[in-house]
Amino acid sequence: MKELSLNILDIAKNSVKAGATVVSITLTETDNMLTMAIADDGCGMKPDFLERVTDPFSTTRTTRKVGMGIPFLKLAAEQTGGSFSITSKHESDFPDAHGTVTTAVFCKDSIDFTPLGDVISSVTTLIQGSPGIRWVFTHTTPKGDVTLDTDELKAVLGDVPLDNIEVIMWIRDYLKEAYAEIA
Amino acid sequence: MTVKELCEKCGFTAVTLPESDREVRGCYIGDLLSWVMGRAEADEAWITIMSNINIVAVASLTDVACIILAEGVTLEDDVKNTAETKGINILMSGKAAYETALTISEFV
Repeated sequence: MKELSLNILDIAKNSVKAGATVVSITLTETDNMLTMAIADDGCGMKPDFLERVTDPFSTTRTTRKVGMGIPFLKLAAEQTGGSFSITSKHESDFPDAHGTVTTAVFCKDSIDFTPLGDVISSVTTLIQGSPGIRWVFTHTTPKGDVTLDTDELKAVLGDVPLDNIEVIMWIRDYLKEAYAEIA
Repeated sequence: MTVKELCEKCGFTAVTLPESDREVRGCYIGDLLSWVMGRAEADEAWITIMSNINIVAVASLTDVACIILAEGVTLEDDVKNTAETKGINILMSGKAAYETALTISEFV
């Protein structure tokens, strides 16, 4: 993928499919590293499936024999000299604390580092597509942080739904301004 | 022309040839796998310098006739074994992607 924001979209959609009620997207940047972590409280994966999930020939999709979201993210991280890991607890084994955490670490100095791209669009697309989920977005950089928690928005919005187009536009502008402040 | 014939005519090295009689029609060049996945077409020869396991999956999804590794790129044994199992033909060319494409252009 030409932008890491598309990988975020791809991985977070797995969380939606897993029936998550809370999804955290956390980007942590230092001068030369970027860590991307996507954590959810979805149904999780059993150990045998977890083992195969980075294999491009395993998938939850039934329409084709391979699923490439996780293999592509792993490749994108490792080709910068970074790393990739995924941990998961399946609901049948952990009924009270299940879910999945996908973490990719990138070396930003590598020429093969894929730019982050339009992360604002990824976040608003996810909120609009699944307004029932609590989305917690945090981007920490050496110059400051950008944060968004849809539960805080809901407290202010009352009965106005999160996928209302004006709300989505407001979120977009809010994130743009927040990024402008740490630019 | 079949993959096997193309390999011989062009002087490529056969890395895996589980489906050697597949016909080759056309060619696609690309290294960004997600991009290739949406653009390479069935029966084409796909020229790339990428060599990780994901190329086998992309070749399988796009149904290309073969992968041609450019610039003498080599494969790990596990990638070779997976390609054999999944029926993916892989050839190796010592030349760069452009020269490799020129070489096959006479035949496809």
